[in-house]
Amino acid sequence: MTHLAAARFVGMTGVSWLAAVAASFLLIRLVPGDPVEVFISHVNIRATDELIAAYRAQWGLDENLPVQFILWLQGFLSLDWGVSFETGAPVSGELFQRLGWSAAIGMGGILTALLLGSALGFFASIKADGLADNVSRAMAVAGQALPAFAVGVVALWVLAAELRWIQPFAGGTVERLVLPIALVAFFSIGSVSRLVRAGFAETTQAPYLRTARAKGLPFRIAVWRHGRRRAAIGLLAGIAPDLAWIVGGTAIAEIVFGVPGLSERVIDAVAARDYPVLQAYIALVALWIILGLQLCSAMRKALDPRPSSAVAKA
Amino acid sequence: MMLSPLSDKTRLIPSAILAAALLSPLALSPAAAESVTVGQTFLASGLDPADGSTGWALVTHGIAEQLFRVSQEGEVVPNLATSAEQQGDGSWLVELAPDRFFSDGTPVTATLVADALNRTGEANASARATAGRLTFEALDEDTLSVTSEQPTPILPSILAEWAFPVYLETDGAPLFTGPFAVENFDAGTAIEMVPNTFYAGADTRPDVTVRRIADGQSLALAFASGEIDMAFNLPVETLSMFAGNDDQSVTSFPVAYQYMMWMNTRSPALDDVRVRRAIDLAINRDDLVTAARAGQPATGAFATAYPFAAEGPLPQDPDMAAQLLDEAGWTMGSDGVRQKDGEALELVLWAYPQRPDLVTFQPVIRAALADLGIAVTTQVTESPSEVASSGEFDLFLWAQHTAPAGDPGLFLSLFFETGAARNYASWSNTAFDGLLADLRAAVDPQERIALAHRAQELIAEEAPVAFLVTPEWHVGLSARLAGYEPWGSDYYVIRPEFGTSQ
Repeated sequence: MTHLAAARFVGMTGVSWLAAVAASFLLIRLVPGDPVEVFISHVNIRATDELIAAYRAQWGLDENLPVQFILWLQGFLSLDWGVSFETGAPVSGELFQRLGWSAAIGMGGILTALLLGSALGFFASIKADGLADNVSRAMAVAGQALPAFAVGVVALWVLAAELRWIQPFAGGTVERLVLPIALVAFFSIGSVSRLVRAGFAETTQAPYLRTARAKGLPFRIAVWRHGRRRAAIGLLAGIAPDLAWIVGGTAIAEIVFGVPGLSERVIDAVAARDYPVLQAYIALVALWIILGLQLCSAMRKALDPRPSSAVAKA
Repeated sequence: MMLSPLSDKTRLIPSAILAAALLSPLALSPAAAESVTVGQTFLASGLDPADGSTGWALVTHGIAEQLFRVSQEGEVVPNLATSAEQQGDGSWLVELAPDRFFSDGTPVTATLVADALNRTGEANASARATAGRLTFEALDEDTLSVTSEQPTPILPSILAEWAFPVYLETDGAPLFTGPFAVENFDAGTAIEMVPNTFYAGADTRPDVTVRRIADGQSLALAFASGEIDMAFNLPVETLSMFAGNDDQSVTSFPVAYQYMMWMNTRSPALDDVRVRRAIDLAINRDDLVTAARAGQPATGAFATAYPFAAEGPLPQDPDMAAQLLDEAGWTMGSDGVRQKDGEALELVLWAYPQRPDLVTFQPVIRAALADLGIAVTTQVTESPSEVASSGEFDLFLWAQHTAPAGDPGLFLSLFFETGAARNYASWSNTAFDGLLADLRAAVDPQERIALAHRAQELIAEEAPVAFLVTPEWHVGLSARLAGYEPWGSDYYVIRPEFGTSQ
């Protein structure tokens, strides 16, 4: 059964990923703008037919689309991700160098959001309309309403330009990561806290909590001890949209704070129609989101082993 | 609530912090004086000039040099070479400058130059763009023979193109001859450079770090925070942040990326030269400069820094414009739009957001042409080359570096010669084509300047394009770099005199 579940996990992940990268491969090429034209225009050189043909051949654009896709897929799976049209450098090398920054911001952001959001959600559930509940609600609204780019620029202006408390561009690695992680976390803390609050709040109404209290457990400890599994299940079910936000938020943070991560490179690649960079990036992002969703699903099942029909009835 | 008294050890902490704060400027100042940080939106992606457009980035960072370069006056001048002379068979002899070295002290010899540039020609198609494949052969230690697939009278200009930096291949990263040598290369983030000790005047140069900050707003804030000494190409809307600041200044300079507007001669209304000239005459270029909040009215195809730029302002004469339209049979209708044979004079004006100034120009031009009785609708595309190449436009706002290698020939032939790949206006003029043939053959610089002037006059007479504005870029400078004078667009940002005794 375990082997079957593992095979199912791998199969679902592989099929979903393949569908996502195939669709993106086609969509990228449907975007108007020929990469050779864009490159030649950018670097100010004479666009003769011979030159255009030479670049098309060099970049593999003279093959038909299915052949291009199969060649790309073979290359990607063997870690040969092609060569950037714009820089001429191997894409795998460029992106691996940047992956660490993006992973640090993304994972740092989501972990910070989970920690602070969970704590806030727990305290918000203890006292409805209390300070924690109001802060949680305000952060959830802010996360939906405020433009992340503007929040990042304002943070930069206040903390770096005006107060000069931090050097987000020229500082050390940790100093450069503080604001990007804070920005990503800021926009997820509200939603995490509301999910966690909902889970704990259900527990506060449950009959077994009265039993726990009757045994002499203080209210907070009783809620924590008996509500954390339910809160975790609710959080895992509701956090899926934040997996996509981590990608978007990391991109914004990298641009605003000048961090050399994956997304910062991709902005240039979009303008240059740099297909190898774009394709590799999308493949990585698709893998991250699909794996994240599958992992959340697996963890949810581990925490709540009841069949889904039973869960629905409950 | 009562605060607990501080212990002796705790009380010492504020004192220590205060002392450190007071002493730190003294401790740091010598080191700080020896290093300068430059913020730019672009950074070399690697160190191999044969890759993509890396050669351009290495030259602009002050790391690499070509045999020839474009001077502040817009002229092609010797750099690692001293001269280039065309031979009877069309090949060229290039003499190398004496006492030039790579950053490890290896002398620059004809053999090493030939090895590097032949490798680049093989690997990088951009190095074959202007005259086909160039073949370099060392005749002796100081002399190169250069042959080109297609004959050219302007080899020095080609060798000043960004694709031709000279380098020395090693087991590690390539070595270069520029005033600064790479100390640490952090891809996508920063390049730390030290003075190239084998380049004259090395002891007067600071260490330089070039840091990439992709977003213009963030670049401005990094400059405001004092983290960088120079911010290259600040967005115009951020300049007010630095007004009245004694420690930071902003210098603006004209760049060669001319703004222009193609007029598609395949469009029925624009097939008539009188309509094209009327549009050209109706545009107030000062209004465009005001809209962009920077720049200078264009005088022709080239920025005025170049010796082959046209002289004097381009005329604006709405009355003459109206008269030309009347002569062309476009008479003013009761709705304020001119008509001819029952057809209204309606045009579509395109621009692209990658150059925000062009989008800003759209309503200004629309208003100017509306006054003339021409109804203009505006469109924006993310794919300017595609739309322009398709010919499916009437008017198209465009930005173009018109003399990247210090020669007028490339732009004029590429965009205006009959049937040329990027002749977006589909304009054809026999006299102009003949003039370009003369320009291709002309060797004497003064003759080339005269021919370029005449070519611009012919373009002005037939108006397949309206040259609009020479834009300006803005460079933020800390007090330590206050004497820095930017020129050469983004081709020569860090030069030998950068940061020296300023």
